[in-house]
Amino acid sequence: MLTTIEKIIFIVLAITAAGFTFHGFKVIIDSIRKGRPAPELKDVPGSLVKAAIAVLFQQTIFKARKVLSAIHMGLFFGLITYAVVNLVDVLEGLVPGFELVYGGVHLPNAPTGLINAFNLIADVMSGFLLIAITTFLVRRFIVKDKALTFRDNVLLNPKVKAGGQARDSLTVGVFVIMHVGARLMSQAFRLTEGADPFMPIASFLNSIFGASETGVHVAWWISLGWVMFIIPYLSRSKHTHFFMSPVNLGLAKQNPRGQLDPAIPLKVIEGQKYDPGAKVIYDLAWTRVMDAYACVQCNRCQDVCPANFYQRPLSPSALEVNKRYLLKEATFGSHPEKLLLPLTETVISPEAVWSCTTCYACVRVCPVGNEPMADIVDIRRRMLIDGYEIDSGVQNALQSLATNGNWMSKGKRLRGRWAKEMEFPVKNATEEPVEHLWFVGDTASFDERVIPNTKMVARLFNQGGLDFGIMYQNESNSGNDVRRVGEEGLFEQLVEQNMAAFGKAQFKQIVTTDPHSFNTLKNEYPQFGGTFEVKHYTVTLLKLIEEGKLTIKNKLSNYKVTFHDPCYLGRYNGGFTAPRKLLELLGVEFVEMPRNCENSFCCGAGGGQIWMGKVAPGERPAENRIKEALTTFGEGANAKTQLFIVTCPKDMVMYSDAVKTTGNEGKIEVRDIIQLVAEAVGVEMPLEAEAVAA
Amino acid sequence: MNIVVAIKHIPSIADDLPVKGNNVDFDSVDFVLNEWDEHSIEQAVLIKEAVGGTVTVIGVDLIGELDNALHLALAKGADKVVKITADDPAADSHMQAKWLSEAIKGMGADMVFAGVQASNDLDGQIGPMIAAYLDMPYIGGVSSIEANGDSATVNKEFAGGAGAKYSVHMPFVAGVQSAPKPPRYAPVSKVRQMAQSATVEKVAPSGDASSGLAFKKMAPPVVTGHAEMIEGSSKEVAAKIVELLKSKGLA
Repeated sequence: MLTTIEKIIFIVLAITAAGFTFHGFKVIIDSIRKGRPAPELKDVPGSLVKAAIAVLFQQTIFKARKVLSAIHMGLFFGLITYAVVNLVDVLEGLVPGFELVYGGVHLPNAPTGLINAFNLIADVMSGFLLIAITTFLVRRFIVKDKALTFRDNVLLNPKVKAGGQARDSLTVGVFVIMHVGARLMSQAFRLTEGADPFMPIASFLNSIFGASETGVHVAWWISLGWVMFIIPYLSRSKHTHFFMSPVNLGLAKQNPRGQLDPAIPLKVIEGQKYDPGAKVIYDLAWTRVMDAYACVQCNRCQDVCPANFYQRPLSPSALEVNKRYLLKEATFGSHPEKLLLPLTETVISPEAVWSCTTCYACVRVCPVGNEPMADIVDIRRRMLIDGYEIDSGVQNALQSLATNGNWMSKGKRLRGRWAKEMEFPVKNATEEPVEHLWFVGDTASFDERVIPNTKMVARLFNQGGLDFGIMYQNESNSGNDVRRVGEEGLFEQLVEQNMAAFGKAQFKQIVTTDPHSFNTLKNEYPQFGGTFEVKHYTVTLLKLIEEGKLTIKNKLSNYKVTFHDPCYLGRYNGGFTAPRKLLELLGVEFVEMPRNCENSFCCGAGGGQIWMGKVAPGERPAENRIKEALTTFGEGANAKTQLFIVTCPKDMVMYSDAVKTTGNEGKIEVRDIIQLVAEAVGVEMPLEAEAVAA
Repeated sequence: MNIVVAIKHIPSIADDLPVKGNNVDFDSVDFVLNEWDEHSIEQAVLIKEAVGGTVTVIGVDLIGELDNALHLALAKGADKVVKITADDPAADSHMQAKWLSEAIKGMGADMVFAGVQASNDLDGQIGPMIAAYLDMPYIGGVSSIEANGDSATVNKEFAGGAGAKYSVHMPFVAGVQSAPKPPRYAPVSKVRQMAQSATVEKVAPSGDASSGLAFKKMAPPVVTGHAEMIEGSSKEVAAKIVELLKSKGLA
């Protein structure tokens, strides 16, 4: 089809484009390689194949925004098809007489059926592509979907503020429309013999514009000439996403969700010395440098971030976007010196760093396997080492943890005081063998508002004949939140203290009240030699009931309840079923909140937030959650008592407070699941009043 | 600038304070650094960061566990730490002041800081007594110190929030009420690094002194009453409060 001159021009253009593209990706790969060693990845080919399948079926995007995800799916399939279409178009241009219209009627021995199928798919997909890309452009530029914007208080790269992302989107959007439109036109102009039933859209266009030899040339050049410019451009825009997302997903975190990367790489490159955590961008693990290239800046993470909801200056997506722009300015642009600027100046504000609740919602929802939360913890780690002035409440908590082993400034010996007040002896697991070592945790041990529930757990364990004991003053805080605040040294100290205590004890498994302790004991202690089975008390209680050791005497049909999945039990460790099963057995009327299980909404206490001395104004995540529960229960009179069920001591504190601050006392009551089990099983109450204190 | 900070290890009140005989049961209580001393360490390190110099932290080791506090001081920026190996948990502030003065005497200090008081005896004596033993001027209730040449600008707090600015010639002793900034946090990894690498200089206690006071009896506080929680709606609560005030003859 093309003239010799045209062919030469095209080949020169193609080689130039390939050169620029190769250079683009070389720059990207070089910059990724400058990141620190990441935790070892096993069976990389296997993971890449799995990721390829996930990408092919677009599995990971459907975790949120179902409709937009379906449109994305259309776009994806369209572009995949177009990779083949473009190849065929190149052949049509370069090989004389190679034409596929009318089932390739002019080709000798043409597989007509196959060609017709191809033509149909290419034609229909062109339509899908145009619809999909138009929808996205309308969403961004006409509807101006708020989800694509950032709060004013979020730190943004100046180029992002100046609309860099919108320009990127517009460039690629216009490209797709021109490319696909011109391709359809070039096919339409080829239809010299009228409509081709396997090319409905092209035939329609042909009916308007007719056939034209010149038209074919012009349209072909518009369609494929564009590609030669856009492919090198992609490596320099957010649409690097096309290539980097599948790779990033294939190389995503393999360790359990609840296991943080170490503060200093375990595998150290020879001659390299590492300070803990991250100050500059290449202090991040290379897999997390790559995150910036995989991110297409969809803001799904921002949608689910409790800190962002709380109007804090944190946006996990802004973190990735800023990383991307920083890398671009430094590697493609002329500002390599910016790589040495602290991340707290270029990527995320210190205030945002300290707003994260480490709830993992951002990492969970990310379709491409990014881990903005892990970056935040690394930045905290270095800030602590560098003497950044931390919140006074956090500092007090950490100092108390270092001296007392708990964050509440209580003496070690007071940890087991509640147990000494029980009507039966609670074994000391460090002095006599027990089957279940109950790791009680700080809040359940010391907080007067929670202790009645702690005692109830003990009573039910006792009544169910469970052989259990606690470690009294030998137990220290598990360190889960200490680690997430970035105090790695203190975390290690607490682990050592607890490991020493476990060493003194004889037990078969650990049971915890606190999901946070559960998480670190289960996922992080193994790295310190702590290989033991760890269960959450909901699982232990369920077992006692299922084995008939505890019998439900009263069905609690007078309660209408909903259940809040604690981040560290649910999203982190998949503990969704035991609490729900328990509630089912108790005979309550159960309703599910819209945000449940994996998509549960953080109470706002995790990652050290509960220690913060300063409380920011605005609706807090816990308050929003209580409103969500009330909406779920529905308006109007309800004869049943409405309960908000929790399985985490911190939740007890957070939500009891939120019910009061939202003025919903009397409408909804926060209860630990243990209170319901006790009521259903019929625990004999001791003489003292055991109501949860106001 | 040569700054010496005298610190005091005291029984922790995070636990209920155990009493044995006529004194604290020192065997079953943890010892912690006096809170005001954290401020004097912070003040010393701030001066060092501003004008240079060395910070030496010294304390009496009452129960053989002072190292922790000293390592913490090093992690926060002290250069040298010294412990006076007394091994006498009942040593009172007069005794400790004497031992500290003897040890500090040869150090050529430009400034000596002590916490303005300690929460165990609340007598605020260590600073003034060190000043007396070393024949230096003493200024207490200090809220900030800036060193300039051979004198320092010292802010002192008075009751009711009134403040005064002094120019004090070195050498002098200051009783630190608070540092201008909250004491910094020392990451545990740094403290542990210090514990491994740093040396704590040991000095034998020298001299004798006594307050002349002896404990006759020590007892935990006896609970005689408790708070009454008034429940009900705000109106009911208000009515009950009025009633209560009336019954006490206050309204």
